[in-house]
Amino acid sequence: MTYKENEKKALIEVAHIRKEYPLGDETVVALKDISLKINKGEICCIFGTSGSGKSTLLNQLAGMEKPTKGMVKIGGVPISLLTEDQLAKFRQQHLGFVFQTYNLLPNLTATENVALPLLFKGVPKEKREKIARKMLCRVGLSHRLDHFPKQMSGGQQQRAGIARAFITQPAVVFADEPTGNLDSKTTVEVMEMICSFAKDFNQTIILVTHDPEMASYADRVVKLIDGEIISDTIVSH
Amino acid sequence: MKKPDLMKMCVQNLTRRKTRTFLTTLGVLIGCCSIVIMVSIGFGMQEQQEQMMKSFGDLTLIKVTQEGDTSDHKIDQNLVDEIEQMNGVAVVSPKKVLDSYTVHAFAGLNNRFQTDYMDAVGIDTGKINEFDYKLLEGTSELNEGEVLVGRNFVLNFKDSLRPEGSNTAQNGYLQKDEIPEGFFDPLAEKITLEISKSDNTGSSADTDGSSTEKKAVVKLKPVGYTAEDYNKGTETVDGMIMSLNDFQNMINQLSTPGTTDTSYDSVMVKVSDISMVEPVENAIRQQGFNTESMTSMRKDLEDQARHTQMMFAGIGAISLFVAALGIMNTMIMSISERTREIGIMKSLGCYISDIRMMFLTEAGIIGLIGGAIGCVISFAVSAVINISSLGGFSMDTLKAAILGGEGITRVSIIPIWLYVFAIGFSILIGVASGYYPANKAVKIPALEAIKSE
Repeated sequence: MTYKENEKKALIEVAHIRKEYPLGDETVVALKDISLKINKGEICCIFGTSGSGKSTLLNQLAGMEKPTKGMVKIGGVPISLLTEDQLAKFRQQHLGFVFQTYNLLPNLTATENVALPLLFKGVPKEKREKIARKMLCRVGLSHRLDHFPKQMSGGQQQRAGIARAFITQPAVVFADEPTGNLDSKTTVEVMEMICSFAKDFNQTIILVTHDPEMASYADRVVKLIDGEIISDTIVSH
Repeated sequence: MKKPDLMKMCVQNLTRRKTRTFLTTLGVLIGCCSIVIMVSIGFGMQEQQEQMMKSFGDLTLIKVTQEGDTSDHKIDQNLVDEIEQMNGVAVVSPKKVLDSYTVHAFAGLNNRFQTDYMDAVGIDTGKINEFDYKLLEGTSELNEGEVLVGRNFVLNFKDSLRPEGSNTAQNGYLQKDEIPEGFFDPLAEKITLEISKSDNTGSSADTDGSSTEKKAVVKLKPVGYTAEDYNKGTETVDGMIMSLNDFQNMINQLSTPGTTDTSYDSVMVKVSDISMVEPVENAIRQQGFNTESMTSMRKDLEDQARHTQMMFAGIGAISLFVAALGIMNTMIMSISERTREIGIMKSLGCYISDIRMMFLTEAGIIGLIGGAIGCVISFAVSAVINISSLGGFSMDTLKAAILGGEGITRVSIIPIWLYVFAIGFSILIGVASGYYPANKAVKIPALEAIKSE
């Protein structure tokens, strides 16, 4: 099934997913029965404490894990049914990731790191690095183009991480505790940056956090406790 | 992922852990070297053997002798005729030797040059060309009283005008067209051969004529040099070949009139093809005679050489196998270190086929570099071995050590294909030992990988 954005339909459709993990002889149910629709351009915060199942939900949405039951569709594509290579291609084209621990490759420069998703896509070196430099300038790292991750502060690394997530202009960007390792001042910078990218290109952001303050950046907050959605509220700014 | 990008990432990963890459490559290098050197020594042995075989001479030759002294089966003209009729036989000649006679030979003015040893044989000289006797000089068309002599014929003689100790030629072996200083040229002289029955051993060495026994004296004219051919007999080296007729006339002088000795000492048989040696030998043996040929010996030697070669290659292969374990270990280590990276790459949309390719390529590069450097070192080691076996360094030995040549025996020989094979094999070993780690890498779930530290 090909990816299709439909204004009338939700971009991400989650239908009755359940996720169980084997733990010794028992099975732990991480997600009970979750159904959710997220529209294009929405900044959706999945909020919950540790163990609430929010990370598990993110993994199902991003196709990192397959649900025990139920279905996740993004742009009409049932990603829980795709093979590894189909998923890789889908990620190249439609998904971006921002991680709590930045996860830049240590032996690549900032520019090379940001250009990585384009490299996997097979974009020629000059072209992809030109785009990467542009992205880095946009996140305010024009003076750090050829620095290695070790030579940059946490905030700078996360900004490079954001540049990398948005470089392919994906429809959906998943951000897993993006500010978990940052101080409050940098947190504000980083969050504003993510939101500004999302608004500019009408991109959907799935923000996973346990920090109530972060929720204020979102259009919508989905609260999770013990693998169940207990509230789903639209935030008015 | 584009090929150059993939290659660049692989090289980057390898250079990131220089020491480990170096050590792993060193393992492959040693493995490759040991295979190449071992196999090359095997080839050296083979070449030596082939040259030895060549010096043995004609492989289609069979020598027939009597089975023991007391055998009823005497070698005579009947046997010769019989063998001639056998299937696959090309030429046959009887051979008579002077083993049971005391022999003296003289040459020069007043018989100045003397010897009390002479390896003189009588054969069917009309068949010399058919038997493929090689001549260094002269002609093989012998008239009555004409003989062929070996290249070293002159070394048998002592100069009676010089004192004992300095009366023989200093040269132990004549290679080129040379006559030792002060000696005679056999082709320009007549040789006097004097034989007697050697029943009386006490006086056999005397040349003063005090012996009263009957002597046969003939004058012979050498007309050519034979090339040495141990397979045909030592007479080709330093002896004398004469026609059966001359030979018979000579010994007839000693025998009682009316009791002509018609037996032969041996028979030389040349078959039409190597494959006919065995059947002809068997047929002659069935008649109750002994046979000797090079073919049976050659088979044994060849088997032995093949075994040695395989054993050498096996020893080399063991070290390359150990190197393969090294590569595998390195790649597995590398995967556990890069688990997180693999996870990141997967989540950023890297195809798992690219990840697998990356690990295989890295392992292959280790194999390639190890193999290539191994070949260069093998080349050098082989050259050093050869140079030292050829007796020290010079431009000549260097050239001979590397390129070989006619008459040069090298200990270690590396044909070009062996280099190609060694490099290819090293790459193959690399890729094969990278296969398991690569599959392990692609199975890592992206998520857990990212969380791992």
